[in-house]
Amino acid sequence: MIRGDFLSLNESKKKKRASKVDKVIKKLSDTLDGGRLSTQRADLLSYSHDYWPIYLHWMLEDRYPSVPDAVVWPESIEDVRDIVRWCYRGKVPIYPYGGGSGVLGGAVPEKGGIVVDLKRMRSLKLHKKDLLVEAESGLNGYYLEDYLNERGYTMGNIPQSLYPSTVGGWVGTKALGQFSTKYGGIEDMLKGIEVVVPPGKLIELKPHPRTATGPDLRKFFVGSEGTMGIITKGWFKIWPEPEKRIKLSYASNSLKDAVESIRRIMRRGAEPAVIRIYDEIETKRHFYEYDDIYGKVATVMIIEGDETLADAESKIVREEFVGKEKGEKPVDHWLETRFSIKEASEFVPMGVVFDTIEVAVGWSGAAKLYENVVGALKPIKGVLFASAHASHFYPQGICFYFTFAGTPPRKKDAEGFYQQAWEEAMKAVINSGGTVSHHHGVGRQRRRWMSEELEEGYELLKKIKQKVDKRGIMNPGDMGL
Amino acid sequence: MPDKMDWLKDEMSGVSKLTQFSTVMKFLKGKVSGPSDVVKCAMCPNMCRHACPISIVDGKETTSPAGKSRVGMMLENEVLRFNEENVFPLQMCLSCGCCENWCPFDFSVSDILRPQREESIKQGVDFKQFDEMFKALEMHGSVHGKVGKEKNYPEEGEVLYLRGCEFRENDQRVIDKTMQLFEKLDESAFVLPGEECCGIPAYNAGNTALFEELAKKMAKKINMSSAKKVVTSCPSCAYAYERLYPEFSQGLDVEVLHMVEYLEEKKRLLNLEKKGGSVTFHEPCKLVNGLGKKKSMRDVLENSGLSLKIPRRSGEKTFCCGYGGTTVSRLNEELSSSINEERLKELKGLSKNIVTACPSCKEAFQDNHGDVKVYDIAELFNRLL
Ligand SMILES: Cc1cc2nc3c(=O)[nH]c(=O)nc-3n(C[C@H](O)[C@H](O)[C@H](O)COP(=O)(O)OP(=O)(O)OC[C@H]3O[C@@H](n4cnc5c(N)ncnc54)[C@H](O)[C@@H]3O)c2cc1C
Ligand code: SF4
Ligand code: SF4
Repeated sequence: MIRGDFLSLNESKKKKRASKVDKVIKKLSDTLDGGRLSTQRADLLSYSHDYWPIYLHWMLEDRYPSVPDAVVWPESIEDVRDIVRWCYRGKVPIYPYGGGSGVLGGAVPEKGGIVVDLKRMRSLKLHKKDLLVEAESGLNGYYLEDYLNERGYTMGNIPQSLYPSTVGGWVGTKALGQFSTKYGGIEDMLKGIEVVVPPGKLIELKPHPRTATGPDLRKFFVGSEGTMGIITKGWFKIWPEPEKRIKLSYASNSLKDAVESIRRIMRRGAEPAVIRIYDEIETKRHFYEYDDIYGKVATVMIIEGDETLADAESKIVREEFVGKEKGEKPVDHWLETRFSIKEASEFVPMGVVFDTIEVAVGWSGAAKLYENVVGALKPIKGVLFASAHASHFYPQGICFYFTFAGTPPRKKDAEGFYQQAWEEAMKAVINSGGTVSHHHGVGRQRRRWMSEELEEGYELLKKIKQKVDKRGIMNPGDMGL
Repeated sequence: MPDKMDWLKDEMSGVSKLTQFSTVMKFLKGKVSGPSDVVKCAMCPNMCRHACPISIVDGKETTSPAGKSRVGMMLENEVLRFNEENVFPLQMCLSCGCCENWCPFDFSVSDILRPQREESIKQGVDFKQFDEMFKALEMHGSVHGKVGKEKNYPEEGEVLYLRGCEFRENDQRVIDKTMQLFEKLDESAFVLPGEECCGIPAYNAGNTALFEELAKKMAKKINMSSAKKVVTSCPSCAYAYERLYPEFSQGLDVEVLHMVEYLEEKKRLLNLEKKGGSVTFHEPCKLVNGLGKKKSMRDVLENSGLSLKIPRRSGEKTFCCGYGGTTVSRLNEELSSSINEERLKELKGLSKNIVTACPSCKEAFQDNHGDVKVYDIAELFNRLL
């Protein structure tokens, strides 16, 4: 097994580094007793990846090109501080790890070093009067939401990865859930944060309803993907569980009809918690049991909250939507199947290469961006299909969630085909005036578009990174930092 | 109505035929089978992680449901060798089946990884803790070795009460109370002279040969007895008799019921008047998931007349006590105990009186924490009737 290898390290560098890493591992194994540090092969291989789809192909080929030197499981802030302190001294890379459900290689230990799995830090506390929940970063997403629901509250963050992901991962990637149009993304929910930054300092930004104490440092860590520090805790906004839930669905003749309807609805101030518009292909894929929807453009919607408000919102929706109303059944079907993830398991081992690409664009560019991205993906040799649904909405614009799948043509391997599809899709997004990521983040897959998207802003980000993490130990390589 | 995969066939019809194209098409048409269960699970983003007690408490990728399958795949592909260190993660499974309730493929990781666990035994991977248990089973027919002195009960009748290794070794009082309950319900209950282990601990550890040996012996003894019905307090035993014995051609000639299933049949007799006092309950995972009795225990307890405090994780969301499945508690007692604490914290927040329906769960709760009173469901009804 190649220790700590991933494309970039040469043999001599590796050897030099190995002795330093060994020293840090020795130090940490004294602190982290009770099996909370491992250098066992099964553990190292298990933490060599997250859910970056191309990695699934490598795993099936028995390739693990990014094996860490050790994995640790801290249980307290002191443990985390010790880890950062020792790694800083030894200049050993650290990779924070939540549920490993990130899809862009954000938690891949590219340069060897130590993976820090936060899942044993999972305490939580409910502050009912302040409508806040205080949660350690390793807490499982479902655990948190289920706990709140039982007590009559919701945080409203329901990503499709609710079951495998963690609270720290949500903040780390700037995640958002299926109910985001009402409840917002994790950045809207986060009110306070606790982070350990190099060389081992604890930064506590306590929760306030609002604060005007300089630039918002809490937000600075949202979407930082472990490159600035290890998030140990967050305080999040919660809501009383909704009094009323209204389920609506429509079949429209065109994507444009449905998208324009939502634009008008949002302009009037209605905010249905869930809105999903499926293009024709995805309508066929998800609603094949509904003859009267098959081949059309399906929209499912959930409006929830205070009864008076919910009724008013549904009135606006009914007044504005262009399409045939199809009742609650398609929404129930969506609710029942929304966590059923089977395709990767069935098709990847057969050599099918797939990914999802989520991007955002203002209303004025929405139709063009959709056409351009699907139009860029479809002609690529080997692509079996390219499709999209619109999954998150704002008064200013829309998030399109594209899916492509294909089998590499002769003379091209899975990776070559995969990267070609990404190149074409990203080019189309940039040319259509969109942003290259809406919620999955950057990781290792998207880093090469950071400069193009942020321009001088990226240079500033790099400077900040150098100041915060002088020795470059925090998730090195992620986002190109 | 169109077929589930018609949309993809439609899309693919316009595409030039490339390397893997025909395999995918054949799969869509049902002409080739897809990947193995272990590979499918290994490729899943852990969509049942939240339900797996090991994963929640241990917090390790390596022992998460998909993580175990990934290790299984690495063993199969010889990326990892079969040795104690590498097989250890596979043994960190409570056989609780909690994953199955959430799995889009209806997998229970403990089932899909059986071939690897069996292979590890074949390849001579030796866990000393298992060896001791295998020896005890071979020599004395009990996981705990030689059974001590036991009270005499009738050895013939209609309802055969199989006491199980755990109560015989650690809690004979419950056996006594259960026999009293049978009497109150006008049942001619008896015990089996020379009762042995059902064999499920060997099965869980991957020693199928030993399981079969024990199953053969017990099936013979039960079938030769005067029993018209078998009742057991242990859901794992019930699972073995009901589900595994027929699979291994050792089917019993009589109906087998777990105590909760039996009490469910007697529900009318148990309909007790409302009284003061409250209890909470812990549904054993083998009862809920293994035997598929998602609500039975709660239904039975609703007839007890006591006020019932329902845990957040109940029914199909139940959480293992930490001591299920034989292997975890033997190889990693600390982890079992942490899972137990996690569950107990939840239950204690509701009531200090906990009812369960499994000898291992009962043992685990009362052993680890003296400040709660733990009742077996039969013991409780015996007290109330
Ligand atoms: C099936 C599926 C569905 C998905 N659906 C959605 C969705 O609806 N919405 C959405 O936004 N995303 C979705 N995702 C993507 C992914 O689940 C999210 O990005 C999620 O937030 C990742 O959380 P995690 O705990 O798994 O983090 P990981 O994958 O472990 O880590 C992600 C990144 O965050 C960093 N990180 C993790 N924990 C910490 C910490 N404590 N401190 C600092 N950095 C940390 C890691 O270093 C890494 O860079 C989906 C993924 C899958 C596989
Ligand atoms: S059977 Fe139980 S312990 Fe084993 S993987 Fe499934 S949920 Fe986890
Ligand atoms: S058991 Fe099912 S849900 Fe759980 S990890 Fe495996 S495939 Fe996924």
